[in-house]
Amino acid sequence: MLYPFIPKFVEQRQVEDPCGALQTSSVFEIDGRPMAILTDTENNNTILSDIPSRLGDEISVLIKGETAPGIQVDLDLGARVEGYGVFTFQYGPVSSGISEAGGFKLITYGERIVKVIPQINFKKRGVERRVIDMKPDDALLLVERSAGNFSASYSTCFVTCVETCLGLEVPSRVRWIRAVALELERIYNHLGVFGRLAEAASQNIATAKANALRERILRINAKYFHHRFLFGLNRIGGVNNNLLAKEERRDLFESIRTLTNEFSNLVTYFLSSRIFLDRLQNTARLPKQDALKLGAVGPVARGSGIGLDDRLTFPIEPYNDIIIEIEIDDDEDAMARTMIRIQEIQSSTLILEQLLDRMPSGDISKTQPSTEASSALHNTDSAFSFCRIESPSGDLIQVVQLDQKGRIKMLHIRPPSLVNWLSFARSLEGNVFTDFQFAFESFGLSYADSDR
Amino acid sequence: MVKFWILHGIKNGILTTKYPAKMPTVDEIPVSSIPPSPSTNTSWVDGEKICPTGSIQAQPRRNIDLGKCIYCNRCANAGFDFDDHDKSEMGRTIALQAKKISAIDLAEKNIVEDWNKKRAIFKRSFHIMMIDVGSCNACNLEVLNLSNPYYDFTRLGIFFTNSPKHADALVVVGALNTAMVGVLKRTYESMPNPKVVISVGACAISGGIFHDTEGFVSPIQAIIPVDVTVPGCPPTPIQILEGLLLTIGKLEKTSAATRLEDDNKTFQQG
Repeated sequence: MLYPFIPKFVEQRQVEDPCGALQTSSVFEIDGRPMAILTDTENNNTILSDIPSRLGDEISVLIKGETAPGIQVDLDLGARVEGYGVFTFQYGPVSSGISEAGGFKLITYGERIVKVIPQINFKKRGVERRVIDMKPDDALLLVERSAGNFSASYSTCFVTCVETCLGLEVPSRVRWIRAVALELERIYNHLGVFGRLAEAASQNIATAKANALRERILRINAKYFHHRFLFGLNRIGGVNNNLLAKEERRDLFESIRTLTNEFSNLVTYFLSSRIFLDRLQNTARLPKQDALKLGAVGPVARGSGIGLDDRLTFPIEPYNDIIIEIEIDDDEDAMARTMIRIQEIQSSTLILEQLLDRMPSGDISKTQPSTEASSALHNTDSAFSFCRIESPSGDLIQVVQLDQKGRIKMLHIRPPSLVNWLSFARSLEGNVFTDFQFAFESFGLSYADSDR
Repeated sequence: MVKFWILHGIKNGILTTKYPAKMPTVDEIPVSSIPPSPSTNTSWVDGEKICPTGSIQAQPRRNIDLGKCIYCNRCANAGFDFDDHDKSEMGRTIALQAKKISAIDLAEKNIVEDWNKKRAIFKRSFHIMMIDVGSCNACNLEVLNLSNPYYDFTRLGIFFTNSPKHADALVVVGALNTAMVGVLKRTYESMPNPKVVISVGACAISGGIFHDTEGFVSPIQAIIPVDVTVPGCPPTPIQILEGLLLTIGKLEKTSAATRLEDDNKTFQQG
């Protein structure tokens, strides 16, 4: 099946919401599984609930656990940790290790971590609620600023949903340009993770090198897409930057290739440093069964031997048309996740080569909806669509519903970081406190992403 | 191993920017960080309608509040200009507003003197601490980018510190969230005197695009006194660096800030 698509409407029925109450909801079939759109009355959230599966429950619990200072997400509701010398260590929301507003409760008896409770929602801005009744154009500004370093993924996912709802047939070229931005975003995020890991291991020169490479990608972004973090990349039905000239595309690719070559050169020397390897190997192991159960996504899943990548499993154009190599590592530790990211920088370069070389010609925007498509839209009272994008940290899901006037009726974002917090918390159990930073960075989690 | 790093370093040469001795290059100030400026065929009324954050004001006085601007370029439709029309000027951050210039009435001489006295101490080494109160992570990354070899702010005697007790300046990023109000206040209170606050990015200054979301409380300056603001969404590292240099008095009132005042005058006439 080609993504994005309009989910098949199944029926209206009573579904249990995360608070345990029954509510009437429309059930849709997504990937052959029934899914319901529910309103979380406690927090006024809209959530996409995967009805029978455990994953849906876990996500619901995480959302339900909620927010505000003082109240934390409790991963196993009702579980308590007690014992001689066990105490709770509060880490964040203002801390040196994490540059963002977010925290952890570490339950520990000195050195070993017994349990980790991530505290999210310190910066919950409420994008999903704000965009209700907004025009998709205006909502896009908010969506692309939900998570700054995943901006291209967020905005591409959102506009793809809206375009599907409106029945806009976007020119191929637009999708290819979006894919270029997605791959650039992946490379700079992975470089960032590598840099922070090196920093945590006090490898000063390597940190400087990795950060310099990252800065170069940001400058490439600015040069070709007019924004260092790719804000303003998309508009509904098109993109704002046309990589028109062949020379321009070749220059872009050449600069990326020199950069990734330098990076692989750097990695060769870096991976011969025992100081670094010792920190990562066997740190924060996430066994495959746990990863499956907790629904890990992105490099975290691939580092635990699960071959889940939206570019392959749920391809939107142009990912169905090009050769993509994804790496899977069975080592399950922080090293495996780091290696996945390192290899993905290389594979993204190969993808970029194909994208820039074979980019189809055509317009870069489309404004008029095609009539036959928009008439087939309405499976309930209004248009509704669903899209998955492989963001640098994994599978990003957005569900968009438009009302009759073309305004946003509902937006649901399922950020990759939100599910990976569970995997992160599980993987840290039994590790020593001093390895915390390596574990945290190897997951590449972002609070802005999960707090949207 | 060590040999490799040294050779690597020599091969790459010096990456660091010449700023502030020289104007920043076009690479360092991308188009997205150039604020809108009115041109001959500008329609202020249209601009006000288009602007998603209320940065453009047609009445009672024509004004562009760069603290609110998210640089979305939409007002280009109303005839606002984003061209890099004067490259020489563009290098300087266009809209740093030091306290002495804008926030406080210039008539209050005491305050200006206080600000100058306070600033004099920071001319030597200067430690900053960043606090995120609800950002999208882009401003955080740009502030942290100051330490990368391209900007290397330690050459100017500026350093990051991880504790508010060691900090001279608090760099605030993000749209202030309900959950972070108390945290921000406590962090500010635990800093030793003299201290300055620099709010970085449209979200910190005015709430930016998040100004009417449910999580947003108020601009930072409503909670703690802010000395310097650096507009942008996100501001580039050079612009943040300029904000820091202005704070420690290594840059006097910028040409850009002067220009802002002049612009305001011309807006009124035109």
